Amino acid sequence: MKSFLKGLIDIKNWKKRTKTTWVIVLIIIAACIVLSFLKPSEADMKSMASKEMQEMIKADEGSSRKRVTITYNSLIIVNYCSFSTSGAKEITERYVGFVGRAFQADKGFGKFAGQMVNYTYRMLGCGENILHGAKLTLFLTTASTLIGVILGTLLALGKISKNKILSKACSAYIFFFRGTPLMIQLFVIYYTLPAVFGYAWRDLFNAADNQAVYKGAFIAALIAYGLNSGAYCAEIVRAAIQSIEKGQHEAAKALGLSYSQTMRLIIIPQSVRRMVPPICNEFIMMLKDASLVFAISLMDITTISKNIMTSEISYIVFLPALVIYLIITAFFTWIFNAIEKKFSLYE
Amino acid sequence: MKRLTRVISILGAVAMSASVLAGCGKTSTEPAAQTGSAESAEVAEAVSETVEAAAEAYDLSNVKLMSDGVLSVGCEVGYPPFEDFAEDGTTPIGFDVDIITEVARRLGLEVNIINTAWDGIFAGIDNNYDLVCSACTITAERQESMAFSTPYISNYQAVILKAGDTTEIKSFNDLDGMTVAVQKETTSDELISDYKSTGTIDVEIVANEKVLSCFTQLDNGEVDAVCVDSTVADGYLAKNPDKYIYAFKDEAEAEMFGIAMGLNNTALKEAVDWALAGMEADGFIEETRNYWFGQ
Repeated sequence: MKSFLKGLIDIKNWKKRTKTTWVIVLIIIAACIVLSFLKPSEADMKSMASKEMQEMIKADEGSSRKRVTITYNSLIIVNYCSFSTSGAKEITERYVGFVGRAFQADKGFGKFAGQMVNYTYRMLGCGENILHGAKLTLFLTTASTLIGVILGTLLALGKISKNKILSKACSAYIFFFRGTPLMIQLFVIYYTLPAVFGYAWRDLFNAADNQAVYKGAFIAALIAYGLNSGAYCAEIVRAAIQSIEKGQHEAAKALGLSYSQTMRLIIIPQSVRRMVPPICNEFIMMLKDASLVFAISLMDITTISKNIMTSEISYIVFLPALVIYLIITAFFTWIFNAIEKKFSLYE
Repeated sequence: MKRLTRVISILGAVAMSASVLAGCGKTSTEPAAQTGSAESAEVAEAVSETVEAAAEAYDLSNVKLMSDGVLSVGCEVGYPPFEDFAEDGTTPIGFDVDIITEVARRLGLEVNIINTAWDGIFAGIDNNYDLVCSACTITAERQESMAFSTPYISNYQAVILKAGDTTEIKSFNDLDGMTVAVQKETTSDELISDYKSTGTIDVEIVANEKVLSCFTQLDNGEVDAVCVDSTVADGYLAKNPDKYIYAFKDEAEAEMFGIAMGLNNTALKEAVDWALAGMEADGFIEETRNYWFGQ
């Protein structure tokens, strides 16, 4: 850490490429900080509503039925505020705040910019708990891949073990979870199992909790995705282990190591490097399969974008969705590449 | 109405029949709850006179809910104008939302709308929520496995054309030779498919996942007409009065929408029916209908 900081100060000795990257990143961060201070405040944005709209908002206050929805989204450097009424005759006023000013955004580029901010905000799940949008996708994918890798390693060791029963059981598990669609596994775990055994996923949480249903669904999704990912990872791990040359086993035996020592100290560390690329693949597949959670009432990036498409009658919502997916994929590809590099030191 | 047959997927059937079984298992706890409520009913009776005079409150002591004081509502948010998210992405709005919120208000309950997928929505009754209010058509088949409230809106099948199209359509037979877009697995889909499979008319059917796709195809000239629920058509036409025209509405056959509840939950059904009757009587339902579907 200390040497890293020292290197940071000693700019002259930086490698050229790292230096430019850092400078660009720092400039962008600085610009974002400045711009985020300059954008109009929430109160300013909300006071932009026209006179008629103000009257309607006032009328809402005394009523049991709210007619006007006030949306306020703040995304680092820009913010977006809209006032929309419901019903057959819909009135919407939109404003985008940027560099100290609030612009009316009812048509043209302003409208486009406003929509982008609003859609991105909603798809990222900002201002909501972890069971929404990109947060849900990321959490579910990372957690289920982790479960998958651990479970997969155990299953792979089971499958190649000399114990016939264990080996057959692991093979059966892998066969079952690879041979049936994830969607149906999700349905079975969420709907069929509780019905057969007489429990409800929401009972895991407090009945008074408004979010209990979603939390229950998330637990079910995590189990389904984890079990499914385990089967795929098992095959990846098995292939990687079996690709290590026989000579390694023989050498370990000659040194007097036991089976578990051979695996733990020699074979698995070497096979990790070969596992990383296919596991990265599996991760990215999971990331996209996460959209299947729409079937059990959860809203991930894809579900939210489809929802926006229906309600706003607009197809441009898919642009920010693509960008969000690409950014997530790029970030994790980078991480997996780094892991691969770390483990290929001796090859 | 929409997605009439979607439920008949094997999984839906398995889950639903199983949820009935689960319901049977739960009966053991009911007697205890009832004796408890009988005591409280006596207490409630004493106060009821004064309360009734004040705000005609409904006696909820027999009604069993998932969580106390909260009406949990299953709803597939994403079917405007019945239910949809407002622009903030979290507030559900729509005709059904207004109706169920008012029902809950009249019963003195809070409302908690649980967004859920249409597939398997009825399997969630009594597991995830107390009732389903999501533009559900009352059908004889569904009535075997669940109880419906009194209907709160009726719906017809309608044909929509692009504005400026002067084709006269007096019945579905006039769709002969046209390409018609419908939403997949809805009553509209079944109806037009029936006309086609029986050889009554020669029609090309384009079945889409979303109603919006049907209207977009009509805009782009991919199809000649759209066949949808009249209620949904009303919503689209009110928002785009100069883009589409109403060509035909089959008023001979009405479909009724109701709120779906568990078969055993008669106390809840009575309470909901009581609230709906009051809303019908004082014009709340009509006013809301005009607000969402135009005059």
